[in-house]
Amino acid sequence: MDMTKPIPLTQPWTEAFWEGTKHRKLLIQHCRDCNSNIFYPRKFCPECWSENLDWIQASGKGTVHSFSTAYDMVEPRFMEDLPYTLAYVDLDEGIRMATRIVDCEPEEIEIGKRVEVTFHKLNDDFYLPYFKLI
Amino acid sequence: MEVAVSHGKIAIIGIGEVPTRIMPERTRWDILYDVCMEAIKDSGLHKNDIEGVITTAPQAQPVIASELSFGKLPEELGLKGCKDNCICNAGGAGTSNCLRLAEQYITSGVAKAVLIPHVTVHSDIPIEDTINFFARAGVDMQWEYPFGSTYNLIMGLMANRFMHESGCTPEEMASVVTALRSWAAKDPNSLFYGKEVPTVEKVLSSSMLNTPLHKRESNMLADGGSAMIVVSAEDAKKMGRPAAYKLGESVRYFSGTPVVRDIRVVQEGLRITAEEALSQAGITKEDINLWNCYLAYPLGHPMMAEMLGVAPKGEGGKYFLDGRMSFGGDIPWSTIGDAPGRGHTGSGVSAATYVETARQLMGKAGERQVKNCRYVYQNTSGGSGFNNIATIWGGQL
Repeated sequence: MDMTKPIPLTQPWTEAFWEGTKHRKLLIQHCRDCNSNIFYPRKFCPECWSENLDWIQASGKGTVHSFSTAYDMVEPRFMEDLPYTLAYVDLDEGIRMATRIVDCEPEEIEIGKRVEVTFHKLNDDFYLPYFKLI
Repeated sequence: MEVAVSHGKIAIIGIGEVPTRIMPERTRWDILYDVCMEAIKDSGLHKNDIEGVITTAPQAQPVIASELSFGKLPEELGLKGCKDNCICNAGGAGTSNCLRLAEQYITSGVAKAVLIPHVTVHSDIPIEDTINFFARAGVDMQWEYPFGSTYNLIMGLMANRFMHESGCTPEEMASVVTALRSWAAKDPNSLFYGKEVPTVEKVLSSSMLNTPLHKRESNMLADGGSAMIVVSAEDAKKMGRPAAYKLGESVRYFSGTPVVRDIRVVQEGLRITAEEALSQAGITKEDINLWNCYLAYPLGHPMMAEMLGVAPKGEGGKYFLDGRMSFGGDIPWSTIGDAPGRGHTGSGVSAATYVETARQLMGKAGERQVKNCRYVYQNTSGGSGFNNIATIWGGQL
């Protein structure tokens, strides 16, 4: 049984995001034509189909939109992490991403609480953007 | 936009089903033989009258999916009149697409009668493989899966947000299981047929899988199969046999990736699809005798009840806790008990829900028969909830 942690299945146009996380930067794709912040990154802007896309650095701060703390029935490769909290975080830049909330007791996590990014090393190529309570 | 009133183009005239159980001793083909032959016999047609076969794609079962995709079923059953065969895959919404394609076969002249079967056997799949499959199905492999996402967690995230916004309590959520299992206990085709109906306290005392989802609020994977025979509404009427006529349909797409799926967009989608499907059928929600909802998990049911206007906003959970959707209550709801009551057969739960819709309209539901059942609302949804397909069915044109 494969017990290694899965790495993100990237596309050519998402590699800059993961390169950014290696340097502790949370990048958000931005459309220069319609001014949209885009998550997750696309080949073309999903709002206006422009290919005039750029990256902006997020503040790394956001708010918990929802969360669920896992205690059982996860894939064997994630069992050693239990309990862990998966969350949707609304970044101040107006996009929502899936993440984990770390460095706290699960009972401390509530919808609406403020969080900031912290980077978790998966391997030399991938750092996952996790969040911790502010 | 004004929606045209439909007079119905297709009808289900035959149904077949095996009880949902854990039965590794039965092969997939063994089950397919039984459900298909039962449905054809129930329709009153001869096997050679079946001119089209459209199968709901089995999930996580690549061998049978391949065999069904590439035309083995008509040959295996000796359907000598069959003109074409295919499978449809949209997860839990697969059977809805089988019905749509059956309508196309029928209205275009490809087939006069179409067989729509489904089979799933979970119990011979290694447990690690099923966990892995359900961890990845309907989840983004770049933006969600590496963080440890699972199906249960996606439902937990949705439920926590709904409870936060609506004030729905854990007791109210747990009561959905009680309601669904009360129907299942009366359903000979349910995994929980004849079993004790768990109380709210018992549900809440089961271990926590992930907040707010307790073990008894999750699903038990099981094996099962069902089949339907579909003909034109006109032919069904001429045959003069009990039938379920499709009278209306509406659908909205939400998103393939759960994190970009806004709960308010989903709620509006549930509301508008019901409104449009009812309008197409030329009836109102007051005419509906059975709300046959398919949501796979119990946690979505209070939200569904509110969006359908069956319960006032903020009271969906209370309606379940008060027993109104339970067997014997005043609002017949998901009379096979949805996946928590029936046992989870992958894409088969929605197929079984359509079979139940037809069974109720045909007056064959036994102890669970809804009195004077004339109109049924049924929905399906695929993947982790990428869409919602609302349909209205009637016992007459």
